[in-house]
Amino acid sequence: MGRISAIGIDVGSTTAKIVGVDEGGELVWKYIEPAHPRVEEQVDRFLRKLEEENGPIDGIPIVATGYGRNLVHQATRKVTEITCHALGVFRQLGHGGTLIDIGGQDSKVIVIGPSGEVVDFAMNDKCAAGTGRFLENTAGRLMVKLDEMGQLALSSEEEVPISSTCTVFAESEIISMIAHGVRVEPILKGLHRSLVKRVVAMVRSVGLVPPLMLSGGVVKNPAIRKMIEEETGQKVTMPEHPQFMGAYGAALIALRGKRRTNA
Amino acid sequence: MLEIPGRKEICNKFREGGGRVAAVMPIHYPRELFRAFGVLPIEVWGPPGMDISHSAAHLQPYVCSMVHNMLAFLKTGGLDCADFIIVPHACDSLQGLGSLLVDFVRPPQPVFPLYMPRGRRPEDVEFFAQEFRKLYDWLSNLTGRRPSDEQLMESILMEERADKALAKLYDLRTEVSLSVRDFYRVVRTRQYFPAEEFVSFVERVIDEYSGNPPDGVPVIMSGIVPEPMEVLDEIQNLGGIVVGDDFACCGRRVYPAGSGEDPFIRMAWRIVHGPPDVTRGDLIEERFEHLMDKVKKTGAAGMIFYTVKFCEPELFDLPDMRRRLKEAGIPSVHVEVDINDPLSHQTITRIGAFLEVLI
Ligand code: SF4
Repeated sequence: MGRISAIGIDVGSTTAKIVGVDEGGELVWKYIEPAHPRVEEQVDRFLRKLEEENGPIDGIPIVATGYGRNLVHQATRKVTEITCHALGVFRQLGHGGTLIDIGGQDSKVIVIGPSGEVVDFAMNDKCAAGTGRFLENTAGRLMVKLDEMGQLALSSEEEVPISSTCTVFAESEIISMIAHGVRVEPILKGLHRSLVKRVVAMVRSVGLVPPLMLSGGVVKNPAIRKMIEEETGQKVTMPEHPQFMGAYGAALIALRGKRRTNA
Repeated sequence: MLEIPGRKEICNKFREGGGRVAAVMPIHYPRELFRAFGVLPIEVWGPPGMDISHSAAHLQPYVCSMVHNMLAFLKTGGLDCADFIIVPHACDSLQGLGSLLVDFVRPPQPVFPLYMPRGRRPEDVEFFAQEFRKLYDWLSNLTGRRPSDEQLMESILMEERADKALAKLYDLRTEVSLSVRDFYRVVRTRQYFPAEEFVSFVERVIDEYSGNPPDGVPVIMSGIVPEPMEVLDEIQNLGGIVVGDDFACCGRRVYPAGSGEDPFIRMAWRIVHGPPDVTRGDLIEERFEHLMDKVKKTGAAGMIFYTVKFCEPELFDLPDMRRRLKEAGIPSVHVEVDINDPLSHQTITRIGAFLEVLI
């Protein structure tokens, strides 16, 4: 058998990720792709890729998490993304606190206890506001590349408030601003602020327990991180692989299960 | 799954036997008064899965799906088998529905808006008793009957027996092998079975299903109604078991038996002294103590607040209630649903994550 001892798969609404951990729980292999509607086929492909690069996977436990977890028939167990994110981040950063995870189509705030356990959580999973989709929608409208949005927003001194928290209304608001000759950068800054305020409201609903941590695909955006710090007055820390924390936590649960079985 | 006759079947059977039927909206009303007139009250909790385009002309989008559905149900013929419609004033939305029915929609059935007291004082009991006297006169005019005090008392005693059977069923939750969903299907027959049938049905269920309940981490649910009922299957699949509830349609109506000779006062007293309910004006302190008492009795590890979107009375107390529970070491989760939506992945994830926390 190769170096991989357990596998975690996170089928999110925007991306699918797979992580392999070694016997000690270290993240030793990872892979990400946009989420495919045929989940089972995609997971099969993921597992073949993992085998090609790491050797056979027979008998290696697999835990699935994320939005599409129940469609991962190859998994030995399914666990919610809340528990998995908490475990993954706890293992990478080595402490509890409050985790903000902003994904493509949902966002969550998880209070993690001193042993990595979930103490409380809040989710925004029905509305695109407060998720990556909010930025994605408007990036297209403003003809700005998604991965440049954050820098552009930060480059502006000026900030135009966006009053609509709803993605659809925000888009109309932006169109009318452009029609009135407002520059793109201040609009972007206001847009980021609007998303962050929404997320911070969720943090307040569970009660912030420092330190504040950040994960999920959207954290690559520097404006989000900076504004979360401004809005909460807390320094934010990030794990090394912020997009893989769900899959990593799933792999750690698989490893734990394996140890229990072997004990 | 346990075979249980539905509302339609019970309604038809009752009518075939010469009885009449009242469609009753949530939450509290005197069942015994109706039965004394030969009328079977059948409760309308939505029902879920309606097309609310039928109610949208009368109600704003931010009125709860429960009230939207009641109106849509009525307008699409769902209440055609009822002879009367009763709308208790449980909340502003229901009061609005009552006025709409009386002033604008004007269904073929006569409508009685039933006003509720907001407290547990003797004057609240007297106020409610007075409402029941008005309801008595109203039913009397419509049915031509005038049940005597003895007949009223007989009916009261029957309903008290049914409430006792319901309380016993709850007490024996951990001694019957019913699935979580089947348990609540049985509990919910109280919403439409005649009391005498309910009593014998519960006795039979307790007998036939005595045994170990499904395994799982014990939780208590609170809210208005457990709809869609698949949520109860999911809780069990995810490793939980509902050991008690504070649902407006279920556990919040296990009324105590009354005492005294005045039938109206006795009926009113029973409801006013039922489990605490925000729609009857009970304080959050009383509700909190009641929930904590349930937690202690059942050994529940956490609470699931399962509320209907836009349900103002429930949502009003919720943040403070969850804070109090948290301080008392009882974790809780809040899930909001629209009773027209199928059970969503998001709801399952929230409940699943919560149960993982408890396990
Ligand atoms: S769900 Fe809430 S707001 Fe709607 S009718 Fe019931 S108590 Fe009133």
